[in-house]
Amino acid sequence: MHALIKTYGRGLTVLFVALVAAWVLLMILVPGVRTIQRAFIYEDRAGETAMIAIEIDRAYTEKFQLDQEAADLHAQAEAESAPSSGVPSFGAPSMGGPTIGVPGAGPSGGAAARLSPADRDARLAEIAAKVATLEGRIADLEAREDTSSGEAGMKERYSFENFTTMSMVHVRIFVLTLFYALCVTVLSFLICYPVAFVAATTRSKGKLTVMLLLLVIPYAINELLRIFSWVMILEKNGILNSLFDALGFIDLEAGEGIRFVASNGAVFLVMVYAYVLFMVFPIYNTIDTLDPNQLEAARDLGASSWRIHTRVVIPHAKPGIAVGAIMTFMLSAGSIAAPEIVGRGLHPDWFSQLIYRRFFEADSWNQGSAYSLALLVACVIFIFATMRIFKVGIRDIAK
Amino acid sequence: MAGQDVVLQNVSMVYPNGFTAVHPTDLTIKAGEFFSILGPSGCGKTTILRMISGFLEPSSGTISIGDTVMNGIGPNKRPTALIFQNLALFPLMSVWENIAFGLEARGESKAKRRKRAEELLDLVALTGQGEKKPTELSGGQRQRVAIARALAVEPSVLLLDEPLSALDLKLRQHMRAELKAIQRKTNVTFIYITHDQGEALAMSDRVAVMNEGRIEQVSSAEGIYNRPETAFAATFVGEQNVFRGRVVATEGEGISVETEHGLLHGVNRNALTPGEEALVMVRPEQIELMNGNAMGAAERGLNTLSARLERRDLEGALINLYLRAGDYPVHVNMHNTGETHVPGEQAIALGFHWRHTVMMRPGNLAKERA
Repeated sequence: MHALIKTYGRGLTVLFVALVAAWVLLMILVPGVRTIQRAFIYEDRAGETAMIAIEIDRAYTEKFQLDQEAADLHAQAEAESAPSSGVPSFGAPSMGGPTIGVPGAGPSGGAAARLSPADRDARLAEIAAKVATLEGRIADLEAREDTSSGEAGMKERYSFENFTTMSMVHVRIFVLTLFYALCVTVLSFLICYPVAFVAATTRSKGKLTVMLLLLVIPYAINELLRIFSWVMILEKNGILNSLFDALGFIDLEAGEGIRFVASNGAVFLVMVYAYVLFMVFPIYNTIDTLDPNQLEAARDLGASSWRIHTRVVIPHAKPGIAVGAIMTFMLSAGSIAAPEIVGRGLHPDWFSQLIYRRFFEADSWNQGSAYSLALLVACVIFIFATMRIFKVGIRDIAK
Repeated sequence: MAGQDVVLQNVSMVYPNGFTAVHPTDLTIKAGEFFSILGPSGCGKTTILRMISGFLEPSSGTISIGDTVMNGIGPNKRPTALIFQNLALFPLMSVWENIAFGLEARGESKAKRRKRAEELLDLVALTGQGEKKPTELSGGQRQRVAIARALAVEPSVLLLDEPLSALDLKLRQHMRAELKAIQRKTNVTFIYITHDQGEALAMSDRVAVMNEGRIEQVSSAEGIYNRPETAFAATFVGEQNVFRGRVVATEGEGISVETEHGLLHGVNRNALTPGEEALVMVRPEQIELMNGNAMGAAERGLNTLSARLERRDLEGALINLYLRAGDYPVHVNMHNTGETHVPGEQAIALGFHWRHTVMMRPGNLAKERA
């Protein structure tokens, strides 16, 4: 703090501290705490309050339909009592079908079935009676809803129900998602390690520049576009199948196109491609600090390439591998665009898609929060487990 | 483990960018020899070492170790072990794992590796330090670990790339003696690369002086210092006072050269003939002060020279005098006997015996001294 004041003066320091505090508070603490809080509040969808709300909805819909019908009948009556010139002014009766109270149909558009004046009056009386009953019922229900929701509000208590009521299907998806993310991480490592090693040990500056450029350039493109370009490649009538067709392996016309999309393999492929950089660079950075003499020393002592890597290079690159694994795992476990677009719904869901649907389709923010929290905790556990397995500390990672 | 001959026949190295690091070279290093290659940085000595170890494939010629031609054989398959300038110990392995790495690569059992590592730790006087990490050891101890690691694979040729350059002077002098002792004990052929003449002269059975990709002279340490064969070897190893002149007469091994300081007599090292240009070289420790008594110098076989004192430095046991004779700087060092009298500003008469004066054909002079 004193150092800051010394360097930037009092005014700027206050500004810095205030901005950091605002950031921590508004961007991290408040949403975080709110999510956690929601996660532990169970919203009983099958409870009394919910049922009353549904009944009130139904009653209102019914009342609306009756009001519509009454309005139509009144309109008919007026049309008949008016001196008829034989020219229908509007709402041609001949067009009137027996469409009773379709919400949204205007009074002039739809018309109740043509009834005799006597029948009409009887029907109107009937409707008025029904509406009166409904209104009584609505008032009653609304009163009950107020007390009920008040009680429910009072009853809002913390519990693990959001977690314990998670269906087995969802639990399975949760576990599978973590497994898939692990697969993506391992695949990324297998692909990135050789690339990083070659890049870090190449002696030619020009080659290195070209390699790094080729790695970075795809990242200048939006992630969604990258995913869609993969879809275009993997599509049944896509580039890859056209290529196979041109080479004569398959006949696209005959519908022999291979369905690459909507499979785990495709999702993994797209994700590995999307997160390659996050794995390559940490590993590249650590291997870059390895003394090349150590490689030569190991080779000179008779070690095979495999042994040089397992005994000298990988132990040295461990912090980088850990960082890359953590980033790739976190990103792929939380990824939603790739499974949504490439998975195409045919693929088993990823947990991130489930969270999205909890929030925005099931409209259950509390359960959504609980699901997010579960994923977050799993990821944090993964981080610590990785650090443990690789025997690296926070400090090594920060390096 | 026993040393083997290393034979280079017509070996050269031209890098892809066209730079010739080593011109075609023949060299025979005998089994069990302590052989040094001495030269300034960039002279190609490290390239020769890397070709012997297998990290570089020569552009031409053959390298044989023992009776086997090594061309095309990788460094992990050669009976050589290399000790790097920065040692290149594996920092994440313990000392004994470092030493046993070569055995591990051969698939030896852990018990066997451990036993061998202990033996080698004894050999390099590091008994009981096996569990430590290399970073916990001192510079000299790390040096010994590197030697033990290289010896663990029982090489017949040990290649050392300036391994002592990172150590301070005291430790360096101590390690010279140890290296020599280890070499005697193991009888492995040592090929030692250095730009430090002290190391090369103190340890080696034979020394090769190298410059600009060519070996200038191969000889014993005494031979290199006392009987240099080229201008470069003469000026790179030890110091020389150099005068230019022209040969006027030769007689047996004697030769007379006319210089701007008069006729100087010396030993005809390069079989010069009258009329040729020549370099006259004499070492600072071979020049004596005549102290005004130049009488009979010629009869005693002394060349004489008159010079003016510019500076004198007392260096404990030695006194360095920096003089100037015409265009030529002259360096003289004398033993400090406590009664050494150095005259003041006036011209000083210097004398040096013709047997200590070497006449050589002009050639590259060393820009730096080893």
